[in-house]
Amino acid sequence: MLKLNHLYKWVKSGGKRIFLLNDLSLNVKQGEFLSIMGPSGSGKSTLLNIIAMLDEFQEGEYYFEDEAIHQLKPKKRTEIFNENIGFIFQAYHLLDDLTVYENIETPLLYKNVKSSERKALVADILDRFNIVGKKDLFPHQLSGGQQQLVGIARALIIKPKLILADEPTGNLNSKQSDEIMQLFNELNQEGVTIIQATHSESNAEYGSRTIHLLDGSATKL
Amino acid sequence: MIRNYLKTGWRNIEKNKGTSTVNIAGLALGIASVIMIMLYVSDELSYDRFNKKADRIVRVVFNANVNGEEMKEAVVMAPVAQTLKNDLPEVVDATRLAKSYNNRLDYNGSYYGQSSLGYVDPNFFDVFTLPITSGNKNNPLNKPNSVVISETLAKNIFGNADPVGKIITVTNRDEQLNVSAVMQDIPENSHFHFDLLVSTLGYAQARKTSWMESDFFTYLVLKEGVAISEVEAKLPAINKKYMGPQMMDAIGMSYDEFQKDNSIGLFLQPLTDIHLHSDFSDSTTLEQGGDIKYIYIFSAIAIFMLVIACINFMNLATASASKRSKEVGIRKVLGSNKNQLIYQFLAEAFISTLVATILAIVLFLLTLPFFNQLAGKAIEFSSLLKPGYLLSLFGLILLITILAGSYPAFYLSSFNPLNALKAKFSGNGKGSGIRSGLVIFQFVISAGLIVATLVVREQMNYIQNKDLGYQKDQLLVVRNTYLLQNNEDNFIQEIENDPRVASVTHSAFVPAGESDNEVGGIFQNGEFLRRMYFYNIDENYIPTMGMNLLQGRNFSDEFGNESNKVIINEKAAEILGFGKDAVGKTFQRDTNEGLRDITVIGVIQNFNWKSLHQEIEPLILKKNPYGGIIIRSKTADMSGVIENLDLIWNQFHPKEALDYSVLDDAYNYTYIKERKMGTILTHFAVLTIIVACLGLFGLVTFTSEQRFKEIGIRKVLGSSATQIVALLSKDFIKLVGISFVIAFPLSYYLMNKWLQDFAYRIDIQWQLFLLAAVITMGIAFLTIGIKSFKAACANPIKSLKTE
Repeated sequence: MLKLNHLYKWVKSGGKRIFLLNDLSLNVKQGEFLSIMGPSGSGKSTLLNIIAMLDEFQEGEYYFEDEAIHQLKPKKRTEIFNENIGFIFQAYHLLDDLTVYENIETPLLYKNVKSSERKALVADILDRFNIVGKKDLFPHQLSGGQQQLVGIARALIIKPKLILADEPTGNLNSKQSDEIMQLFNELNQEGVTIIQATHSESNAEYGSRTIHLLDGSATKL
Repeated sequence: MIRNYLKTGWRNIEKNKGTSTVNIAGLALGIASVIMIMLYVSDELSYDRFNKKADRIVRVVFNANVNGEEMKEAVVMAPVAQTLKNDLPEVVDATRLAKSYNNRLDYNGSYYGQSSLGYVDPNFFDVFTLPITSGNKNNPLNKPNSVVISETLAKNIFGNADPVGKIITVTNRDEQLNVSAVMQDIPENSHFHFDLLVSTLGYAQARKTSWMESDFFTYLVLKEGVAISEVEAKLPAINKKYMGPQMMDAIGMSYDEFQKDNSIGLFLQPLTDIHLHSDFSDSTTLEQGGDIKYIYIFSAIAIFMLVIACINFMNLATASASKRSKEVGIRKVLGSNKNQLIYQFLAEAFISTLVATILAIVLFLLTLPFFNQLAGKAIEFSSLLKPGYLLSLFGLILLITILAGSYPAFYLSSFNPLNALKAKFSGNGKGSGIRSGLVIFQFVISAGLIVATLVVREQMNYIQNKDLGYQKDQLLVVRNTYLLQNNEDNFIQEIENDPRVASVTHSAFVPAGESDNEVGGIFQNGEFLRRMYFYNIDENYIPTMGMNLLQGRNFSDEFGNESNKVIINEKAAEILGFGKDAVGKTFQRDTNEGLRDITVIGVIQNFNWKSLHQEIEPLILKKNPYGGIIIRSKTADMSGVIENLDLIWNQFHPKEALDYSVLDDAYNYTYIKERKMGTILTHFAVLTIIVACLGLFGLVTFTSEQRFKEIGIRKVLGSSATQIVALLSKDFIKLVGISFVIAFPLSYYLMNKWLQDFAYRIDIQWQLFLLAAVITMGIAFLTIGIKSFKAACANPIKSLKTE
């Protein structure tokens, strides 16, 4: 599904390059559930952001479904991202002023999905995540676990091929955390490719494969 | 999608109550100002456009410069209309109008008082669109003494009876007028208003053939598609052809010879320019018109108000960008493209504008009576509901949305989503530079308007207190004592008996307000010099008016007949070349019986007998008491004198009410336009600075929120509240200071231009700028200070705990 070849990303500081990613290569197949582990600053988030096409890299190649991302214009890249990828944040990043329902609906609005279809899709996902009763609440009225549930529902609403989750359970307790991981597992079973960055061994174990990052390089594939 | 934009937009407005209030209040004030000024300006611009042929009608006017005397007159010679129609194929029709002063109407023995009456050529109704409602619709003025009256007058005199065929008498001229038709009242937005339009067929003046005296307002209808300049180019030849021979007879000089040192000529003025673009001498204008300058000034103020309000919107939106950056980041990750975000931010601006517009309309409704009074208009609320205005109001909403919303929209939507999510963005950098520029702009306008207000006020003060060369206070004028006929002297006697009266003079020549006028040709050694104005006075005039005789003596009965003696003012002495000893010198004046020698017996100190807009002109005072009277009261409170005056008047002439004026009031009325502009300017200057300070308040609020933690740390480290206030305010105060550097030279230049209109004017002193600076800075500092003081006084523990 996606392929990274010899990726380098650095920032300059005092005339010296500090590598965020250092000669990183990675191959992710359709249907995989990949966990990326590593200490803070090892480049997990950078890697996810690059995969999400939100961030740039200086050297290397990135193919997404045979599309050479590194050669595309930003606009086209954004388009591919919007079509295929759902992003889940550690801090949930729900829109505070929107209700649960509206938060989930927003990506559909940006894709110009018709109103009736939107209603059906949002209703389905609310139902599936068991949050129908919460649909008119605002994010601050929810617990952390519930907020992340909404965040996942929002990422899934566009039926993405790939889900990127940046420490999705970092702000949750272990029970909530397990529930979210269960959910990821189910989604993966249904054929969604998932890449998650995590600190936690136990979370990583839900995945089908784990890579370890240290100082921008993969240490164990 | 649009619904979604509007919904989230509204929630955002609700959420940020403080910012939204500042935005909406500012915009509402701006929009309300624009609505008012828009209605005012379009009313001013609508003058005379109700005439179907408005685009083709021109007025013939007279401009001349004769021996240094500038003449601009809106009236021309009687034969001009017919001559131009005959000689120029481009002129389709020509008609004349002469205003008649003093028309006292009588019908069936009942008296109906003063009315406005004009003599017009029979084809007047073909040129101007004045619909006739009853009577002879085709040719109502085809007989001598036929008159068309207005509906209002018809109702006043005849009630519901049919006026057509009735005879109205103008009592003071004993003129019988036969009502041939009734016309609709002449619209407000016409440059003339008459209740009676009388046919010129019976009017002797209309048959005059002289090209040497001007009496008629003359209007031409040009052929369609003919340029005014084309016709105007042919006028010098016509003038020469007809005026030439008469000039030889009158002043013994050929037209060409005369034109060498002088210029004299006829020009054309478009009908639609008359109201706003006229600068003809007061004695030759029909009504006091508007002034295009004020249209520009008011329009500029409205635009400035709006721009300042829009700037508030932009500044607060970009300043609070860090608050919105997370949202922008999320939305971008959720699949929004830049355009969709731009629409969302524009939708927010649109909602704010819409709410502000509704508020503005309410504000407009509430302040309309006040504004009407201020501007001297009768604008109705319903006029706003005309489709044209509604459409422009909608256009205005869109314009403001784009003006205020697009910069923040483009700015916010361009954030990189990653940085935005990490809230790396702090709301400074590029945005703050532009923001500072916009704040400076706001205060340039505010400080500029304050300077303008102060200049206008000072000039008005100057006008009020200037030494005019006569004492304008405690003077009462009764200009129509000629009505008393033989009893006039007895009437004056009675008034002089009142112990509260200091003195009375018999003259209708008043240096301010309405006055009689006399002008005549002055010759020296048989050669024409120039025209000069005359005052007809008696021996009490100079002491009553409090004027200063510099040389010679006043008129006096001791010297018998003094009809060939005159007192001249300094200016006349200068022009006549008499220097310091004018007394005893002679010159000639033109009379019906030819040139007559006159001798100077005194020189009077120059006094401002015309408005302060004009330089003092040469003036000749001759003894010829007639017309009205001027009374000097011993006390400032003249109510007793007026009461007594009324009593005496009723003994002599009970038929009509006493018609008097206070000279001081008449004097002030001369500057009504400037006074109005001063008041309007003051109000808008106040509004502008309020709106600008609203924005400043918003910005300070935001900065102190942003630096909440910093303030806490500084306080813990021992900073005093004053130091914190200084920290928060110094940047803004700097901006206000910079704005002075731009505003003051600019306003100095512009206000000096405005002052050029006055021949007698103040010099703009540096103290005035100091005052403006103190006012502006004071208000700005108060605004900033209150907010930052509050921030400075907060408990530091509170701010540090939030982390």
